[in-house]
Amino acid sequence: MAKQVLSFTLNGERVEALVQPYVTLLDALREDLGLTGPKEGCGTGDCGACSVHLDGKLVASCLVLAMQARGRSVTTIEGLARGGTLTPLQDSFVRRGVAQCGFCIPGVLMAAAALLAENDKPSEEDIRYAIAGNLCRCTGYTKMIEAISEAAGSVGRSGGVGVKG
Amino acid sequence: MSTVMKTTRDVKGVGLSIPRPDGPEKVTGKVQYVADIQPKGLLHAKLLRSPHAHARIKRIDTSRAKALAGVRAVLTAADMPYLKKKAPTRAHAVLAIDRVVFAGQPVAAVAADEVAIAEEALDLIDVEYEVLAAAVDPLEAMKPGAPPVAEAGTEADTSEAQAHGSVSGVAAVAKPAKAVNISQQAKLARGDVAKGLADSDVVIEKTYRIPMVHQGYLEPHAVLAQWDTTGQLTLWASTQGSFNTRSEVADVLEIPENRIKVIPVECGGGFGGKIRALCEPVTAELARVTGRPVRYVMTRREELIAGMPAPQVIIKLKTGVKRDGTLMALDGEIVIESGAFSGAVLAVGAVFLASLYRWPAFEVRGFEVLTHKPSIAAYRAPVAPHTIYAIDSHMDQIADAIGQDPVAFRLRHVQREGEAMANNQPWASNAAYEVLERLAQHPSWKTRDEWKKSAPAGKLRGTGLSLGGWLGGLQPTGATVRLNPDGSLSVLTGQVDIAGTNIALAQIAATAYGIDIDKVKITTGDTDVAPMTGLSAGSKTVYTVGAAVLQAAQDARQQTLEIAAKELEAAVHDLEIEDGKVVVRGMPDKGVTLASIGKKGNLYMSKVPPVLGVANPAFTQQAPAFAGQLARIEVDPDTGEVALHEFVVVQDVGKAINPLACEGQMQGGAVQSLGIALTEGLMYDDKGRLMNPSLLDYRKLTAADLPNIECIIVEKPSPAGPFGARGVGEPPIVPAPAAIANAIEDAAGVRLTQLPMTPEKIALSIARK
Repeated sequence: MAKQVLSFTLNGERVEALVQPYVTLLDALREDLGLTGPKEGCGTGDCGACSVHLDGKLVASCLVLAMQARGRSVTTIEGLARGGTLTPLQDSFVRRGVAQCGFCIPGVLMAAAALLAENDKPSEEDIRYAIAGNLCRCTGYTKMIEAISEAAGSVGRSGGVGVKG
Repeated sequence: MSTVMKTTRDVKGVGLSIPRPDGPEKVTGKVQYVADIQPKGLLHAKLLRSPHAHARIKRIDTSRAKALAGVRAVLTAADMPYLKKKAPTRAHAVLAIDRVVFAGQPVAAVAADEVAIAEEALDLIDVEYEVLAAAVDPLEAMKPGAPPVAEAGTEADTSEAQAHGSVSGVAAVAKPAKAVNISQQAKLARGDVAKGLADSDVVIEKTYRIPMVHQGYLEPHAVLAQWDTTGQLTLWASTQGSFNTRSEVADVLEIPENRIKVIPVECGGGFGGKIRALCEPVTAELARVTGRPVRYVMTRREELIAGMPAPQVIIKLKTGVKRDGTLMALDGEIVIESGAFSGAVLAVGAVFLASLYRWPAFEVRGFEVLTHKPSIAAYRAPVAPHTIYAIDSHMDQIADAIGQDPVAFRLRHVQREGEAMANNQPWASNAAYEVLERLAQHPSWKTRDEWKKSAPAGKLRGTGLSLGGWLGGLQPTGATVRLNPDGSLSVLTGQVDIAGTNIALAQIAATAYGIDIDKVKITTGDTDVAPMTGLSAGSKTVYTVGAAVLQAAQDARQQTLEIAAKELEAAVHDLEIEDGKVVVRGMPDKGVTLASIGKKGNLYMSKVPPVLGVANPAFTQQAPAFAGQLARIEVDPDTGEVALHEFVVVQDVGKAINPLACEGQMQGGAVQSLGIALTEGLMYDDKGRLMNPSLLDYRKLTAADLPNIECIIVEKPSPAGPFGARGVGEPPIVPAPAAIANAIEDAAGVRLTQLPMTPEKIALSIARK
């Protein structure tokens, strides 16, 4: 198949790449544009490690074709901290020692950033649901929730949430 | 070994919650994992996997795949003459030779310019199979006449058990004839079990079943292989032990170990699943035949179908007690399903079942059974969650049957230091008793009656707890500590840091040497440069590598003081290291800076040797570590849904070198334990094919399923660990299945003996009550 020209805004800059029409946005970012922050944990939209913002909305980049981003704006984990300064969210993750293996962290941060852009006073439950699409195997999520709460400047309320099998 | 440091002031080191230094790299997406490395000329590998659990390969035709543009190599077992027909381990079963023994076993490998081309090439490989009967259920597979998994039996592979904390004194039992799939047997016995049961007032018998679960690391297996023109192989690997990977690859490919360099790239989680070599040998072979760098990254589907999961374990347990609570006898049978290759830690399960509590008479029979499924590997405290699920579910039922408090009943019978374990070894110093006692002081345990009564209409509330632990692993290891010309320290090990152990090791070096942590840099070296270092497994990194770093730092400190002693014309025992200087005690003005000592070690014509602390200890003394967990839940009896309202982890860490990192382990381990309890399980059909090979169908717990995990750290110093530290990683994955089962019984009056305890199983149990 002939490659196609993909032209879009990536982390605030206009970029162009030649991509196969069948590649996902995740593969185009990682293999063609050199941004390996978004990770492939499943390739089926179940783990959230590939999360990016497409026109400000959280998407699983493994479920978006690269050509669907044509003319649009994409933000990846590499674009979260501008000018070398960590955002309060990233800073809070560092200070609270959230990351262990770190593989899920880029996706979790993109989900949390999307939440905070819409809701600057999220409850603990808001936060838990906002990152429910991001699987983490190391941390048990507790330190993530605390870090996101701190970054939002809010103190979450506790309470049980159901396990649906 | 003395761990008492003589410094006149506290340095920034051991005991502080210092965030790991690679945090900024991890929150900006800059950390490189194997799949992120893209050398020039990179080829992509894919494996064709058998759709059948057991089949004879009659013919493989790769000609159409080889003809596809962009395909650089297609391999079958015929291209790898060193592969053994009777593969001794899974790593040797790189490509099936003439028979596949599990669904998902690779039969051909492709390297191509693009992943999509490699995938297309797989479709062009023609394989003709003769499908054979498969041994799928371990209880059937262990019977005489079952379809044989190994061609002519396999030798027991106990290397993993040794790495994880071996258990001595377990008698190996000769294999009976004809039961061809029983690959290991063990038996532990003491006293007269039949008489003990006959004299008991209350006998309880239950069978507990825990399915295979996947370790669930977010980063799938990945490796990048490249050869140079002199025949040196470099592997960028996602591994829990680079030296182990090197040994296994050298063994399979039959090349000397020192011609392989394993670079341990950031590992996106392992939990036991990345100890053994899996896809490294075939990727190396593809790189050799193409002369190009080749990268292989497993898909999640491949991980679930053909990774190395934790075993299915079936435990039949029968106990007898007197009405007054006197323990009389325990009879247990443990069947561990090992998949297509032997390698289960059978002895650990056998020992734990009869060692935690004081049974005067017991018999435990253990069987490892081969089936036509992917071979298993360790998963964080292998087989301990399974064993504790059985025994600590049982303890609650016994206490209930004789009307005793479940905590008091356990505290009365839990074995203490010095008492004989089931293998007749004495229990080493541990805090099982203290941990359980501390957990029972928690307000949520004391107010469990109020919690139960507070259930809203149509809901049921309950509280449960459990005690579990891990004996602690051992492995020889090395470390060096160098003093740099600016007075800073460089620590080198080969230890793969997944959980945040490097910061703890640096803290140990800082305190042992007498310098602040910000002057210490720690590096994980590759297998060409690092001292031989063991696995990141068995809860032994801080306990063993920490001890090596401690000794190396003490050695470096001694060398530093000896150099300073000459210069200051003072005795070594009169010297201190303070604020980057060696000073004479009581004479703060008389001193020499660490920088000047470091500088002289790298000065042209200098007579002062460079400070190089070295340690390479081996270990004999394990340090068991225990965790207690408490769950406060609400059950919907109509749907079977369990809502977790509170979850508490109390754990003895010996000494919290870095409390923040300890909490991370306790919380993460607890949630893995809860996953085993509530949602996870690999489900196979009657042909041995996985029915849930995606993360939609293999259900892991999400943030929305959980409360915050409360951590309470107990510190009972271990006699030999650095600063008294014990292993931290494994104990927290052990107790939750029993704690949740006990909480469900408290809430709903039903006993769940099959994991995972899904809403369906809970609702059905309640409906049938």
